[in-house]
Amino acid sequence: MKRNIVIFLVLLLTITLMAFVGCKKEEQVVEGPREVTLRIWTKAGPTEEWRGKAAIEAAKELNKELESEGIVLTVEAVQETAGWGDFNKKFTMASEAGKGPDILCTGHENIAVYGSTGYIIPIADSVTEIKSMAPEFDDVIEGLWGMTSWKGQIWGIPQDTEARPMFYSKTKLKELGWSDEKIAALPDEIAKGNFTLDDMIATGKEAIAKGVIEPGYGYWSRPKSGGDFIQYYMAFGGQIYDAEQDKLVIVKDALLDWFKFQRRIVTEGVTPKNFLGTDWGIWHDTVSHNNALFFAGGVWHFAEWATQHVQDIGGMDYLFENFGYALQPSGVRGVAAQQMSHPLIYVVVSEKSSGSPNQDLAIRLLEKMTTKELNTKHAVESGHLGILKSQSDYAPYKADKLLSETLYMLDYAFFQPNHPAYPSYWSALWTNMEAVQNAALTPEEGVDAVIAVLEAEIGDSLIIK
Amino acid sequence: MGLRSRHSSSVTTTSVQEPNNGNIFNIDTGKKTLGNKYDWLIFMGPAMILVAVFFIAPVIIVFIISFTNMSSLTGFSNWSWIAFENWIKIFTHPQSGQHVKVTIIYVFFTLIFFNVGLALLLAILTTHIPKAAGFAFRALWLVPRITPVVVYIMMWKYLMADSPYGIFNEIFFKPLGFETSEIIAAHPYIAIILVNGFIGASFGMIIFTSAIESISKDIMNSSLVDGANIFQRIKYIIIPQIKWPLMFVTTFQTLSLITSFEQIMILTDGSYGTEVWSLWAYHKGLNNYFGQFQWGFGMALAGILVIISIGFCIAYLKFFKFSDMIQEPKIETL
Repeated sequence: MKRNIVIFLVLLLTITLMAFVGCKKEEQVVEGPREVTLRIWTKAGPTEEWRGKAAIEAAKELNKELESEGIVLTVEAVQETAGWGDFNKKFTMASEAGKGPDILCTGHENIAVYGSTGYIIPIADSVTEIKSMAPEFDDVIEGLWGMTSWKGQIWGIPQDTEARPMFYSKTKLKELGWSDEKIAALPDEIAKGNFTLDDMIATGKEAIAKGVIEPGYGYWSRPKSGGDFIQYYMAFGGQIYDAEQDKLVIVKDALLDWFKFQRRIVTEGVTPKNFLGTDWGIWHDTVSHNNALFFAGGVWHFAEWATQHVQDIGGMDYLFENFGYALQPSGVRGVAAQQMSHPLIYVVVSEKSSGSPNQDLAIRLLEKMTTKELNTKHAVESGHLGILKSQSDYAPYKADKLLSETLYMLDYAFFQPNHPAYPSYWSALWTNMEAVQNAALTPEEGVDAVIAVLEAEIGDSLIIK
Repeated sequence: MGLRSRHSSSVTTTSVQEPNNGNIFNIDTGKKTLGNKYDWLIFMGPAMILVAVFFIAPVIIVFIISFTNMSSLTGFSNWSWIAFENWIKIFTHPQSGQHVKVTIIYVFFTLIFFNVGLALLLAILTTHIPKAAGFAFRALWLVPRITPVVVYIMMWKYLMADSPYGIFNEIFFKPLGFETSEIIAAHPYIAIILVNGFIGASFGMIIFTSAIESISKDIMNSSLVDGANIFQRIKYIIIPQIKWPLMFVTTFQTLSLITSFEQIMILTDGSYGTEVWSLWAYHKGLNNYFGQFQWGFGMALAGILVIISIGFCIAYLKFFKFSDMIQEPKIETL
């Protein structure tokens, strides 16, 4: 009996001591700085590393503030080079498993999808509120907040934006007999709607006829699927979205005119037969080496071409010497031109999806990332447009010829809608546009097919005009 | 079955001196033990577990999800049951017919011309030339299969690209004065059949080669003595002798082609009307440009493939009379 009592007392003493040791340990953790790690995921090419590096740099600034709060912040930035589909799939699966990042850099059109599922959280309830949260947010170009809004709330902070110009070969136009003045005036003529898509085709045909360019090299669009093509639907008076009814829109006449245009570029010989699907490597090599007269791309392509395609023949100097850039021509004479911008945004991932309760810290980090210094580094290196008002007067930004000369294009920008059915909408347009361009369908059949597919897939979210 | 037959005979021959393997083969006592009744479980168990985990369970999950509206919009937690809505959508979708058409064309022609046809031709040719040459030739045909698929498709893309990048256009069409074009886009069905067929042919080639080489030399030689030419030899000797592997390859490759899409995905990603049914399911359910997924609808599309594949299995088993060919050896049934 005595033996049992002794054993009991020894056990009790051991447990009590262990409990004290445990308490002491806990106290030590509270006394020291709390270590917090924020994870950020971005999709970035070789020239776009500042999408993630900005967070690492910003953490240094934020850590100065956090010192007094007893927090040491570390940032882990993961930069993916995968396509958008794979990148979004990775985020979706990780979020479902509660292992998503704290901050995600994504296209603004994903707000509706990720907001619906609770993967991301709203950052503010209005534009006024987000602007009042930090001077850095107040500096964001006003028009960009619209892209981060969904159901009246602000769900993201702009990361970058861009313009999708119609590039043209200045040297080829000169060979065609255009004067320097006429070439210099082209962007303005396009902006006003005096030089239309019809004129572009006619100029391309003339250049081919005179041997300035090879047949099929008058106009090269993007070679693969991408929202860029919707610029030509808009060029013929299209409408994508009705904000009041929160529905997607098809304007049949505009759709038909667009499809006719896509077919015409082939039948008129300015685009090669069966062009869509051309490998990106071939496309970049062809246009960057001055083989096409007109070609649709993005401002960021200049940085890519300068560093990866024409670096041995003059790089950026070669590009400026040979190429000009304008808005996407209108399809209707006298109607102002447009171009589509596709801003990327940073969104804050919910606690449930990230497995981390540091949403407030993530927002504070975003404040420090949204500075003219960091954003200009990204803009200049990657060829993307800035997102801050202060950048237009910031010397390093102004010194970049391409960025400063294309900044006006944001005034003519339209954006893809933040509507969950938009991916289905785009998919139907692309599939049938491709069929029309390749003569598998007539333009009229293409329009009918688009409407049939959309009515089957997203009929409740669609207005047909 | 063979084991059971052997054991049944041992019941009456207790004097047979065989080691007693415990409860399973209790020859000495002659009693029917538990092991006798369920011994097949021991042999089949591991395979059955694998089939259950990696085939039956996924199929059940596919069908369950197909009755939901699960998508990127609902996540994995906010979905709801929608009965047959996804299945009805398949039958009323305006693009379903196109996907069926391209799938039939792709499966039928790849199977006939390459996975069975070319495979048989290669096997016959390489078994009728000197052995070393035949081996080398067959090894060459394995190259497409062992080349990483992305590299393999990139090679095809540059072979068939428009001039001045495309090798076919530059070497053949342009010098001969033909109009050059992006060949994949101009002839998309031919492109996907060729690209898949060059990989697929090697599987049948290996099976057929070993089958032809296992035909008794006596029969082959006597056909020569009888004056049979090569075509008669193929028709009356080789084909009947390799009937079983021929049927196996046809069945296996049909099912394989119905569900395969990776080469097409990398080559065209479904452009130019080449989106076969399985690629359609993949795009809708698991991967697309904007990364928005309709898991419920995608699973219904995949469910159709499961039903069709099972249908093909049953049809092939009946039509080719597989059961006749897997009879017990006569020595066991005596």
